[in-house]
Amino acid sequence: MPDRTHAPALSPLVIPELIPYSHSKLPNGIDLYILHDPSQEVFRLDINFEAGAFYQPQPLIASTTLNMLNEGTLLHSSSELAEIFDYYGAYVDFSNGQHKAEASLFSLTKYASQTIRLLGEMLMQSCFPENELEIYLDNKRQHFLTEKQKTGWLARKKLAELLFGPFHPYANAVHTDDYGKVTRDLLLQYYQQRINARHCTILLTGNITDTIRQQTEQIFSQLPQPSDTPATPDYNFESAEAGYYHIQKDDAVQSSIRIAHKGINLRDEDYAGFLLLNTVIGGYFGSRLMSNIRESKGYTYGIHSFNVSLPLYSYWCVATDVNREYTQATIEEVRKEIRKIQTETIPEEELSLVKNYLYGDLLRELDGVFAQSDGLKQKLLYGTDNNFYLQIIRKIKNYTAAELQDIANKHLHPDQLYIVTAGESTAHP
Amino acid sequence: MIQYTRTQLDNGLTVICHTDSGTPFVCVNTLYKVGARNESPHKTGFAHLFEHLMFGGSVHIPDFDREVQDAGGDSNAYTTNDYTNYYITIPAPNIETALWLESDRMLALNFSQHTLDVQKQVVIEEYKQRYLNAPYGDVWLKLRPLAYKVHPYRWPTIGISPDHIEKATLDDVKDFFAHYYAPNNAIICISGNISENKALELVKKWFGDIPPTPYAYPEIPAEPIQTESRRLVSRHNKVPSDALYKVYHMDKRLSGNFYCCDIISDLLSNGQSSRLYQNLIKNTREFSEIEAYVGGEYDPGLFIFSGKIAGNTSVEKAEEALLNEIAGFIHDPITDREFEKILNKTEARISYSEINYQNKAANLAYFEFLGDIDLINTEKVRYEKTDIRQVKATAQEIFRAENCSTLLYLK
Repeated sequence: MPDRTHAPALSPLVIPELIPYSHSKLPNGIDLYILHDPSQEVFRLDINFEAGAFYQPQPLIASTTLNMLNEGTLLHSSSELAEIFDYYGAYVDFSNGQHKAEASLFSLTKYASQTIRLLGEMLMQSCFPENELEIYLDNKRQHFLTEKQKTGWLARKKLAELLFGPFHPYANAVHTDDYGKVTRDLLLQYYQQRINARHCTILLTGNITDTIRQQTEQIFSQLPQPSDTPATPDYNFESAEAGYYHIQKDDAVQSSIRIAHKGINLRDEDYAGFLLLNTVIGGYFGSRLMSNIRESKGYTYGIHSFNVSLPLYSYWCVATDVNREYTQATIEEVRKEIRKIQTETIPEEELSLVKNYLYGDLLRELDGVFAQSDGLKQKLLYGTDNNFYLQIIRKIKNYTAAELQDIANKHLHPDQLYIVTAGESTAHP
Repeated sequence: MIQYTRTQLDNGLTVICHTDSGTPFVCVNTLYKVGARNESPHKTGFAHLFEHLMFGGSVHIPDFDREVQDAGGDSNAYTTNDYTNYYITIPAPNIETALWLESDRMLALNFSQHTLDVQKQVVIEEYKQRYLNAPYGDVWLKLRPLAYKVHPYRWPTIGISPDHIEKATLDDVKDFFAHYYAPNNAIICISGNISENKALELVKKWFGDIPPTPYAYPEIPAEPIQTESRRLVSRHNKVPSDALYKVYHMDKRLSGNFYCCDIISDLLSNGQSSRLYQNLIKNTREFSEIEAYVGGEYDPGLFIFSGKIAGNTSVEKAEEALLNEIAGFIHDPITDREFEKILNKTEARISYSEINYQNKAANLAYFEFLGDIDLINTEKVRYEKTDIRQVKATAQEIFRAENCSTLLYLK
């Protein structure tokens, strides 16, 4: 019979093994990274361009340009493109970030030559048919109107506007009538300026045979280098005054709350320490906010905090949807938790637990070739690679409670919070 | 091909082990064969509420999460209409921590009135977040009781109303535990960086002495065959566009009918080249979104059409267009290439699902629950063996007006 009264002994966690990657440059300057794992039957090709929302001349242009890439080329109609990808069980995802616009092809390795060729065609010979554009915009507008009904969406958009200023591309403010202002000419211009070999990176992940590598090199070497470099826009952050902001939505049974202020950049020397602090406050299921607001009080289904590091601005945010009666009580508790971590050192037992949890979480972020590829992609934006994780793990192990308290006092500011609520009106403090 | 071992312990616990040395982690996936379908109509939402309580501490362990996190692990669970699934992923050397935790909460929970009271509130907030505070969130609260009159699939896992959750007592909770949370009602699957022998040995060590439950499952009433079409119109919803739902009864997950229906749903709506996407979104533009899918329930389930109607289209016209597509599917030819496309997509989907050790553990446990664990490796062949003729016959059989429930969800 096992001894159930004592926890089994824990083993120290291992240092993660980084899968080696190769890097080369195509003749047109594209950076090609390869993470090879022969045990896979599938592969992923990610290609990204400096074509995110930051560079767009007006709202929706970046995302529409990207999403319209599979709506018709000089050789294939939208339905033909869809049919070929579907036939091979492959799919292409688009993701439009602040700076990067990315297309990701996911495919069985045995159909690589057909699917990679088609991806190349989409990127180099897209023709943006008017009819398809109209359908796309109509359906996106519908989707947008549904999103606008959500208190979580309202709170998130308001917070972005407060942090970055209403006109900064990071706020990505979209209005219903913006959908009527997107024209084919604007898209074509953005396509020619931005979807090309300039600042372009390709990541091949999974079972990458020599054939796949050669084909990728051969096809994407044909992406043109543009002759003229469009000017990088010069925006200023026009942050609002810190304080309390409310968006009214009648009859909402829950309020969405977002509480935020400036966060910390991934390359900051205190980043690892801040990650630990964030975990303690609201970064995992056992966090102080979860224990307090969910597990002791039952105000919410969930409450989380997170740090978002963007190249030009970082912010730290607490997010939750609560029973509307407890909106103010929740805000007060969040403030209390921030003050507490600044005035009291984290008890040793809790600190050790959080270090172990975070270590396990970082190991999970590096588990398998696709996870490592995701990690690498993000780290490359900051001029580093997955060795970054090893540094973070080392730093996390060594932090003392006193050092963390210093970091809390340096980077957390309970008197400079943006507090956004969306839902039924409640008296504010 | 996924290699695994399957063993049944003396106390009835089914143990499945699968080695994947590509990860430094293991997953301990524990499936209890109890879901909303086993609930009494007067105490709905109970299986799901109980799932929350499983994290409230057990007989020897006051704080479940603390122990998982201290070992670098992560844990969560979900409840479906058919079963409840718990998983812990943890660095492989710490697997015994996961087994200690999982076996202790199978042995006996640490029932407390406080935990119950708080989790009732948490679940009610979950109810609001998912069903009441989200546009179209309450659709299934309306659709289920329209399609099912007798079978417990007529309520969602969250329950018929927050009232039922409010009324749950500590005695109800203890009773539920005694009935369902026992080794002979559970399947445990270990996947990841551990040999199959070692995994089995450790499961025996931690679970071998837990007594089985003597209770038999109460019988679940079968849904009578629907004989006339049903229709519900829900008006004045706070949504930007009208939505149309049509659901048809189909057979259970383990039947041959399921594979035909799944292929039908793929032909109709999987991918942008599918028929509904091309015809109703791209060509006639009567819908801004349209989907066809199967629920895949243990008991006979539903084939579902759900669509958001485009702004300038009337509900009547949209419904007629969808019915025309269904009629066209029954009467017009399916090309070989179109059929091959679906088989290729299925093969790719199965390959993608085999990348992750945690997915594999959940799938192995699920197929064992269905009653045929070999499906993990033989499903592909089941799809391949289905032919166009069977697919068309199935469509003709299920897409009948008297087998259909329609919900118009209007703005």
